[in-house]
Amino acid sequence: MARLSISHLKKIYGDFIAVDDVDISVAEGEFLVLLGPSGCGKTTTLRMIAGFIPPTAGSITIGEQDVTNLPPWKRHCGLVFQSYALFPHMTVAQNVAFGLEMHKVPQAERGPRVAEALRLVRLNGFDERYPRQLSGGQQQRVALARALAMEPKVLLLDEPLSNLDAKLRLEVRVEIRELQRKLGLTTIMVTHDQEEALTMADRLVVMEKGQVRQIGTQRELYERPADRFVAGFIGRSAFLDGEVTAPGLFRTAGGLDIACAAASVPGPATLALRPERIAVGAEVEGLPNRFTARVEHASYLGALLDIQVSLDEHDRMLLQIPNRAGLIEPKPGESISIGWAEDAGLVYPRGA
Amino acid sequence: MSTSAPEAVAGARTNLAGLLVVPATFFVAVMLIGPLAILFRYSLNKFVPGQFMVDAFVIENYVKFFTDAYYLNVLARTVRVAVICTVVCLILGFPLAYVLARTQSRFKNLLVIAVVLPLFVGNAVRAAGWMTAFGSRGALNASLTGLGLIDQPLEIMYTEVAVLIGIIAVNLPFMVLSLQSVIEGIPRNVEEAAFSLGANPAAMFRRVLWPLALPGILAGTILTFILAMNAYATPVLLGGPKFQMMGPLVYGQFAQQNNWPFGGAISFILMTATILLTVAAHLIVQRRYR
Repeated sequence: MARLSISHLKKIYGDFIAVDDVDISVAEGEFLVLLGPSGCGKTTTLRMIAGFIPPTAGSITIGEQDVTNLPPWKRHCGLVFQSYALFPHMTVAQNVAFGLEMHKVPQAERGPRVAEALRLVRLNGFDERYPRQLSGGQQQRVALARALAMEPKVLLLDEPLSNLDAKLRLEVRVEIRELQRKLGLTTIMVTHDQEEALTMADRLVVMEKGQVRQIGTQRELYERPADRFVAGFIGRSAFLDGEVTAPGLFRTAGGLDIACAAASVPGPATLALRPERIAVGAEVEGLPNRFTARVEHASYLGALLDIQVSLDEHDRMLLQIPNRAGLIEPKPGESISIGWAEDAGLVYPRGA
Repeated sequence: MSTSAPEAVAGARTNLAGLLVVPATFFVAVMLIGPLAILFRYSLNKFVPGQFMVDAFVIENYVKFFTDAYYLNVLARTVRVAVICTVVCLILGFPLAYVLARTQSRFKNLLVIAVVLPLFVGNAVRAAGWMTAFGSRGALNASLTGLGLIDQPLEIMYTEVAVLIGIIAVNLPFMVLSLQSVIEGIPRNVEEAAFSLGANPAAMFRRVLWPLALPGILAGTILTFILAMNAYATPVLLGGPKFQMMGPLVYGQFAQQNNWPFGGAISFILMTATILLTVAAHLIVQRRYR
């Protein structure tokens, strides 16, 4: 296992910048997740690390070696694809042995290493099966075993769980994570699934439009999102547009004044509030910001109620109320009291 | 019984499907197997000059073929030409088919049409075109002489090379299309997985692409081999009267010599050789890669 670092990585297709000046470093044994909406450049970044796409600029270092100009077969990156990409004409054992054979591992050593890799993914005894005889989850575990058997310097996972059904996804998620910890694998995973990213990663990289928006732990991303995009992408946020009129004071587009500790530099800005920080009903007593809101739309989500409210004709926001015992479900058209503390919101300058 | 009703419907469907198969089956039986059976019967007849065909039940036509060095030479030459054409088509066709299968270009359909384009021109017309290109005063020799690269015109017409070039040009599209459709079915990810596991392009080709493309390779080689074995217009027009292959030989016996029994025998020898060689190649390849 080795550390990996990417510096000033860039990929330009014609006049489209797919990856724009990306700097990432992954520590030995760390599980890093690249997260972002589709087209954000996360997959392109992963494919540049694997060696399938030549970068326009920048460099990639694995361990002490600059691999930027090495072909994929000299990079020792274990790669697991969304579509498994097993060799359909080879048995499970032949699939797993392929990497060993290509790296000229002596024949006598291959058998035990294949068996060990299959044991790790709990598929011992499946050696002689063909991929088509396995379920999707089993195929993905074979793909993982195949990547692990050659003892890669880094493990690259390209949306490895997206083709699995929901229940299986949770199982394989835990399996991959446990295996990664046990073997101390330096791992980079690409996903668009936020929950998957949050449950598996040591650290996350949020990307949008080819750029890194923020790198950090789950807590850092949720509690101190670097910009409005991250605040909306990681977890949910209610956004109010307006401006900072004075330090500590935010005025919404509809003219409501809000006491807000995060407001500092005057100018156009957006206030982001986490739904769970917004109090509803009797709980608003004593809070500095109290408003009467009209319910526009309410959806029942089981554990939570999603409620769209308007404060006035310009200011609308989203609330999430936990579905506690005795809750009276607000109906569209009703008025409810909402409020939040001075330190609840984060302010992002607009138009920057 | 209440369960009998759906079965009756299913039964009716099966009958209808059966009925739909009848015309094609009938056509094949009457138009192919019938004449072949008659031809085979003829090949066992005797040929007496002046009397045309005499009813008999002898194998002398087959004996005549296999004891005469001239005919054996024709068979050997036909097999050699067919094998060379098939191998060259495979070597030339694979990269082309791969590029066609993997291209993301908007012009992919146009490229496919460009590959098929030679088939829009009939065999005889194309061969006539080759004649003007390869003749001693043809375009190729005129250009080379004009450029001062050669003193004497190259002898291409009426050689085996001319026939090979002609047949390869006709058969290449069949090979490319057979390979392309199979390569398109091989996910690109599988190739990438091989690369990431340490396979260089040669190893990837040998261990992954070739075995997975095998159904297309077999289909393409069988198709081009059969077409080359039975080529008629190309060897006649480009090979000339001295360059004999099996197809023209059959025609000669029927149309020029009026020797139907011997023509029938040659037909069956050609057909049997084609089938045997195809099956043998198929078995060897399958044993090697499964």
